Amino acid sequence: MSETQAETQAATQQPKLLGARVTRVEDPRFLTGNGRYVDDIALPGMLHVAFVRSTMAHADITGVNVEAAASHPGVHAVVTGAEMAGEAKPITCDSLVPTWQATEYPALAHERVRFVGEAVAAVVADDRYIAEDASELVRVEYSAREPVASIEAAIRDGAPRLHDSWEDNFFVKRHFNGGDVEGAMAEADGVLELDLVSHRHSGIPLECRGCIADYNRGDNTLTLWTSTQIPHLVRTGLADVLEMPENSIRVIAPEVGGGYGIKGHLFPEEIAVAVLARKLGRAVKWIEDRREHLLACIHAREHHHRLQVAYKQDGTVTGIKALLYVDCGAYSVYPWTSTMDTGMALGILPGPYRIRNYECEAYSVTTNKCPLGPYRGVARPAACFSIERAMDEVAHAVGLDPFEVRRRNLVRDDEFPYESVTGLIYDSGSFHEALEKVCRDGDLEGMRRLQEEARAEGRYLGIGFSCYTEQTAHTTNEFIKRGVPIIFGYDTAIVRMDPSGTVLVHVSTHSHGQGHETTYAQVVADQLGIPLESVKVAFGDTAATPYGHGTFASRSAVLAGGASLRAAQKVAEMLVRFAAEHLEADPGDIELAQGKAFVRGSASRGVEIADLARWAYHRPEKLPDGMEPVLEAVSSYDADPGTGTFANAAHLVLVEVDPETGGVKLLRYAVTEDCGRMINPLIVDGQVHGGVAQGIGGALLEEFVYDENGQLLTTTFLDYLLPGATDIPKIEVTHLETLSPFTLEGIKGMGEGGAIGPGPAVASAVADALSPFGHVFVNELPLTPERVRKFVQQATGNAA
Amino acid sequence: MNQHHEVRLNVNGTEHTVSVPPRKLLVDCLREDLRLTGTHVGCEQGVCGACTIIMDGQNVRSCLMFAVQADGASIETIESLASGPEDLHPVQQAFVDCHGLQCGFCTPGMVLAAKSFLEQNPSPTDDEIREAIAGNICRCTGYTFIVDAIRTAAERMAGEEAGQHV
Repeated sequence: MSETQAETQAATQQPKLLGARVTRVEDPRFLTGNGRYVDDIALPGMLHVAFVRSTMAHADITGVNVEAAASHPGVHAVVTGAEMAGEAKPITCDSLVPTWQATEYPALAHERVRFVGEAVAAVVADDRYIAEDASELVRVEYSAREPVASIEAAIRDGAPRLHDSWEDNFFVKRHFNGGDVEGAMAEADGVLELDLVSHRHSGIPLECRGCIADYNRGDNTLTLWTSTQIPHLVRTGLADVLEMPENSIRVIAPEVGGGYGIKGHLFPEEIAVAVLARKLGRAVKWIEDRREHLLACIHAREHHHRLQVAYKQDGTVTGIKALLYVDCGAYSVYPWTSTMDTGMALGILPGPYRIRNYECEAYSVTTNKCPLGPYRGVARPAACFSIERAMDEVAHAVGLDPFEVRRRNLVRDDEFPYESVTGLIYDSGSFHEALEKVCRDGDLEGMRRLQEEARAEGRYLGIGFSCYTEQTAHTTNEFIKRGVPIIFGYDTAIVRMDPSGTVLVHVSTHSHGQGHETTYAQVVADQLGIPLESVKVAFGDTAATPYGHGTFASRSAVLAGGASLRAAQKVAEMLVRFAAEHLEADPGDIELAQGKAFVRGSASRGVEIADLARWAYHRPEKLPDGMEPVLEAVSSYDADPGTGTFANAAHLVLVEVDPETGGVKLLRYAVTEDCGRMINPLIVDGQVHGGVAQGIGGALLEEFVYDENGQLLTTTFLDYLLPGATDIPKIEVTHLETLSPFTLEGIKGMGEGGAIGPGPAVASAVADALSPFGHVFVNELPLTPERVRKFVQQATGNAA
Repeated sequence: MNQHHEVRLNVNGTEHTVSVPPRKLLVDCLREDLRLTGTHVGCEQGVCGACTIIMDGQNVRSCLMFAVQADGASIETIESLASGPEDLHPVQQAFVDCHGLQCGFCTPGMVLAAKSFLEQNPSPTDDEIREAIAGNICRCTGYTFIVDAIRTAAERMAGEEAGQHV
């Protein structure tokens, strides 16, 4: 290449931002205290709400006396469930699965309470302090019913019903049978029977929930600021329960201080606050406190699995029979229904392994506990725990290395796209390479040396693996299959270039840590040939953004990223057409780069994109015939063929167990992650780290404990333990990039994955650490000191 | 209980006199009376660290104190660290460069905890950094990049200091 050619190339091209490790554009405002979360918003004349919450797990409400509260100085209103019932319909969210039984989740409990913490009345006062004082003056009379506080209590014969019209205590009963399970069991060299328990925990965003409602009586419009991942779905849900036209409701999700799936719901409190604002004609604010959050927000991941695993002496798993119970709590949640966990667990349990004979029965159970909803990974942490622990047990049974057993069962590279026994389409992946790479990059050999040295010193180190494939960006067909009432297949973007040539991208997803302001800007800037600084990404306000579903299920980069890319391509086509007319060139020869439109190969024949933008709006006579003076396009994206895309990863962990105290310390943690093409590897790493830390929380610390009466015993951060910086080791992440054949640019989702692998990896490592005592099947999470001590005793007993 | 008391606070170098009921938490006073909303409330139990401020040179959980207890104190909140996005404190800049934040909710408390820690220990080990921020919960990052950020800030500040002595 001659020097001039090189110069021309440098001047007429710009390095692609897609794939670059760009630091986040949104960071400075958070770092300087200028992030604006719901509680940072103050409206004139705003009043404050405190909720009165049920102290009983299961009871009839026989009376609510609000007199003393209502006459307390500074109190504006006290509203009960009876009154609320006339103002708002209960939340219903019905599955289309044939065995479905429905619930009605009222904004305030009316006639009956079904879990401790359920809101019974709301007090509105001048400030929150007064509202809380008065809430203590509300007298609720209960007539107790027998509580149903566990899966066992819910499914036993003669168990009391939570919902009167139901036949039993199952939201849904699912059954799947693929291949020839009975044949596999009959021909197996051995069949393992394994019980696995993941206890209830949750995402616990550091910002609790909160909302402000303001009702304008002049035009009958409601504005709700709320800490949500799904502003449009909240709007749709509110319109339904309030029976208001949807165009009279505006939902604004400002900064959201963490979501992880937990804030992806329509909540009773949002409805109650909206009703109070409408009733009083004043702005009304509710900020959840931590106790309320732990009692009554959303719990997750309470799974009991029973597996029968048929295997051959060479370590191949030939068939699985699974019986799954998920404790879904008292009510079905909007917009997911209470079918999510059983549906996902049933579908993905075989994981990345070539298991062709599989039968599964799965039950979503109702109990007198806080409703269960999606949390980062939705059922996959439990499903992965089951299959990975099964692989380790098979390895033990046949006397092979757990690594080798996995290698013999993983789907091979030449089998993609691979249709799993349950009909999931694994589009592409690197299951073998990820496992091998994590062992190299995480230094498995070095870990084994350390383990040996430690054992010689009487210390107990253990090594654990896990592999998984993470279904991401579930698109239309997948949600149809699940029977959810709303099909979350697509998301939407508007790309708008203004007269100055800068660009505003409005998207229907919401960013609350994921860095969309940076990643979508990378995607759009590439298409338009303008610098990153010229692109601003906005979201969260339903009055400004196009309709879409929001941020959950590792879908935003693929779907809203894809929609942004397509909308930007449409605007780029407009610029190219206009530039071609202006430069008297063929549109096929125009390139957009460095803020200019060039004739290919000629740095001198170009026009500033900012000039084109100015002319498009202010000098429309310059436009080509028939071109409209608007540089704006909307696009939605739903990746064909509608089966989603599957990322994969392998985790490797080294732990030290103190058999005396039951303490587990994580010494090293390594992840090899494959999410196709990465828009921004820095952000991908951050997402993996965060997921892993939450997974470690669920593996070692976090647990909601209910007593037999349905009282929650873990209602502070002194009882419900979150991992701090000294609990989490440095997390080392390496990457593979196997592109998806189904998505734009080959991008796969990855936000949840980190949280899926730690449970089984840590459990496997603890079992390995305890192996000098004897073999033990570590089958329960979290591995609290008490449980680890139990496993030490079991191991010792097994050896004897 | 609702009788108000006058409280003098020097916050970020500015003298304020606020009138608050005795039970009003310091964090609520900062956020509501002074509209300094960068200090966040995560648990109201002194566990999560989101409400961390620096009071008379010490890290303090502003959810565990009443405003009246802070009468006469000098307080630094996150708003004092930078005049704008172009003028970040080295700790803040290191958080950008190392991707030390995601949702941003724990960030002000984390940054203040890191800043006052580095003033006491300008060249910490990673373990010391982890100990120093063990009382500040972050639910998004898994801490790896926060530790990187604090180490990076320490190195840069040490470099600046060394540069000044040349």
